[in-house]
Amino acid sequence: MSRKMILRVPKFQEPKRMEKSEAQRLWLLLKDAIVEVQHMNASTLSFEELYRSSYSLVIAKRGDILYTGLEEVNNHHTKNLLDKIAQAVDERFLIELNSQWQQYKLQQIMIHDILMYLDRMYVKEPQLKVFDLGMFKWKQNVLIHSQINDRLVRMLLGLIHMERNGEVIDGALMKSLIQMYVDVSLKEKETYKQEFEERFLLATSHFYKSESNLFITNNSCGAYLKKVEIRLIEEEARIKQYLDESTGPKLIKACEDELIANHMQTMIEMETGCRTMIQNDRFNELKLMYRLFQRVENGLVHLKNEFAGYVRNEGHKIVNQPENLKDPNALITSLIEIRNRFEKTLSQSFANNRDFINSVNTAFESFLNENDKLSESLALFIDKKLRGGFKDSNDQEIDVIMNKVILLFRFLSDKDVFKKFYEHYLAKRLLSGRSFSEDLERTMISKFKQECGNQFTSKMEGMFTDMRLSKDALDGFKNYLQTSVEMGKLPKIDMSVRVLTQGFWPTFPPHSCTLPPLLSQYCDLFTKYYCHAHTGRRIIWQTNIGTAEVTFRLPKKTHVLALSTYQMLIMLLFNDAEKLSLKQMAAGTSISFMDIQRSVKPLYSGKYKVLKRTPAVEKSKELSENDIFELNLNLKCKLHRIKFAATSQTDSEPERQHTRQRVDEDRKIEIDAAIVRIMKSRKALIHNDLIVECTKQLSSRFVPQTSMIKKRIENLIEREYLERFPDDRRRYRYLA
Amino acid sequence: LTQDLRKLLFSTNNLSDFEIIVTQANQTETIFNCHRAILSFRSNYFDGLFRSKMKEYQEGRVFFSDVSPEVMKNILDYIYTGSIEITEENAVEILIKSKQLCIDEIVFFTSNFIQRNI
Repeated sequence: MSRKMILRVPKFQEPKRMEKSEAQRLWLLLKDAIVEVQHMNASTLSFEELYRSSYSLVIAKRGDILYTGLEEVNNHHTKNLLDKIAQAVDERFLIELNSQWQQYKLQQIMIHDILMYLDRMYVKEPQLKVFDLGMFKWKQNVLIHSQINDRLVRMLLGLIHMERNGEVIDGALMKSLIQMYVDVSLKEKETYKQEFEERFLLATSHFYKSESNLFITNNSCGAYLKKVEIRLIEEEARIKQYLDESTGPKLIKACEDELIANHMQTMIEMETGCRTMIQNDRFNELKLMYRLFQRVENGLVHLKNEFAGYVRNEGHKIVNQPENLKDPNALITSLIEIRNRFEKTLSQSFANNRDFINSVNTAFESFLNENDKLSESLALFIDKKLRGGFKDSNDQEIDVIMNKVILLFRFLSDKDVFKKFYEHYLAKRLLSGRSFSEDLERTMISKFKQECGNQFTSKMEGMFTDMRLSKDALDGFKNYLQTSVEMGKLPKIDMSVRVLTQGFWPTFPPHSCTLPPLLSQYCDLFTKYYCHAHTGRRIIWQTNIGTAEVTFRLPKKTHVLALSTYQMLIMLLFNDAEKLSLKQMAAGTSISFMDIQRSVKPLYSGKYKVLKRTPAVEKSKELSENDIFELNLNLKCKLHRIKFAATSQTDSEPERQHTRQRVDEDRKIEIDAAIVRIMKSRKALIHNDLIVECTKQLSSRFVPQTSMIKKRIENLIEREYLERFPDDRRRYRYLA
Repeated sequence: LTQDLRKLLFSTNNLSDFEIIVTQANQTETIFNCHRAILSFRSNYFDGLFRSKMKEYQEGRVFFSDVSPEVMKNILDYIYTGSIEITEENAVEILIKSKQLCIDEIVFFTSNFIQRNI
């Protein structure tokens, strides 16, 4: 406890209460010093002395004298300054104001330093700190005084206006004067905002409103965009040069509103506007437009919609052009072309913006599904490429084309239709040996596989497997023939058979025909051999897709004719007859009359005519049952081997119908499966939900029609997979 | 670094640019050779003193008569090195002078010290 005593050193007793006269003396000393400071005569004063005086007053609890005294001195001083400044005329006004302000600020810092102890120990909220008090007095007595404020703001705005019109102004002076508004604001820059910023923004909007209206009516959109960009850069610089940074976003917003947002519609619609730029691939202007529109709310939506609309329109034109409807190759080629073009626009102008890409894709989706020919056209396009169209392209180019095909494919809503057509043409390519390269075929298929999964391509891959197995089977058959007993009795012919697994291949409409005895014998032999090797399998002969080579002996020359099986049968009939009517041909071969018609046509109307119609009639005339044909013994042809088209190159309408029908059949099965899958997991479901759910599940392959789903539901109820709830007809229950 | 700074404070010919002179009742003067940069950085009082460019700034020295040389040395020690020796004998005087010189950390240490020891 003795320590306590040691601490109480007598020397540091509480200071005695200060006499009032002593306090007054100290205040007068300080007051004189402050006045000296205000007259810029501070260098002879002793800081320590002044500091200690204010310190003594404060610890003697006489801070009030000091504080109120200071307020008075400041008041007096600023009022004097006001008169001085207000007298200055014209440009002198700003300069005088600025120099007085700069001095005043320095003085206030000094006064703050001297009275630091007062500031720290005496001043309590809501009293202003010493420096803030000085600022407040300046604001009250100088800045917002009616003789100054309005005049100052008008002059500042006038200077900014001049600068916007290209004149050079004193940036440092501007900065200092504008910063003054910030400095005298006590909190949140309220004086700056109220007195200056508000009016400045208004003037800005006003300026750019009239400028932009005038400029855009007299210039092209491209020029206007450039102007806007320059203006925005200038304003950014202005913020840095002399405005408070808090104004930045507001100023830029005001400019963007006037320069961009208010003119967006015009820029899109005007003659030199967005539409023309897209049409003419003006990538740089579009890029600038994108960059500027990006800055305003909903700006990109406008631009995006415009672009997507243009894409849709262009696509619509292409898919409906009469020439394109006739020529699938031209159709797909031009689709790939515009796709490339728009991809270029997207990447060069629109920064590959996700939204833009999506809306372009949506546009593609909509016009690609506008008519149902596209699936087939695309399949035909690939068919042509794979039949040899790729011959002159290198691997990279082929890959690019394939990827574009996949891209278009992705947009198709009825992928199952495409699949049927693709399988159909693939089958034809494989069977007629017209495929250009098996590798490319497989590459293409693997791309589909990546896109749609195994199920999509399993049949196509099955076809390839069949082709390979067939070759093995055929080799085996040839060996078998050599060892066979019957061999000796038969003349040798070179027969080639392909064994196709039912289900992998498109079903060809069944046709029957009578084969010549020699061929039938060979067929029987093959059936015998094959069924022996693979027990339990059944062979159905599809003669209508086969080919044959026949020797055609003319008096002077011999040709080899490459024909379809049907054509071969028809030609063989002429071994025993000179003239035959179509009716007779049909009877002799058991081929349907329609197929006879189609098979005969290339034989008499192509480049090389092996048959002639007697009596000769106009080519175009439809064939009738009783038309008579005979061999054309005067055939002139340099080639030894003459190849004939089996039928017309593209599919006939009935065949196409047939493909469609098959697609519909498949869809029924898919829908049934989907319904059962859904109901199995959900047990009970309301009609609408079931439809929605079903459409969703199938959407990757095709878009089912609601009426079709309804029919399938009815059918499933009949087959007792589902039943309706007795009390609620709109609900279904799954019957296990 | 701490030791180097202490050396800087008490060695002669140390590029000093400011003198603190403590005068006592018996007219003796104790001179501390200091550095404006360090002082103004560590004490708001000195910061204001140099900034206001008054007499002390012009002459390069300041006179203190309300403090003992020992306590002034203690405070300067803190200004230069960040550590201070507070004893029961000097605590109150240090508190008063450091408060006047606006060195808040010393005010904090010494008032804690006094509270603990009373």
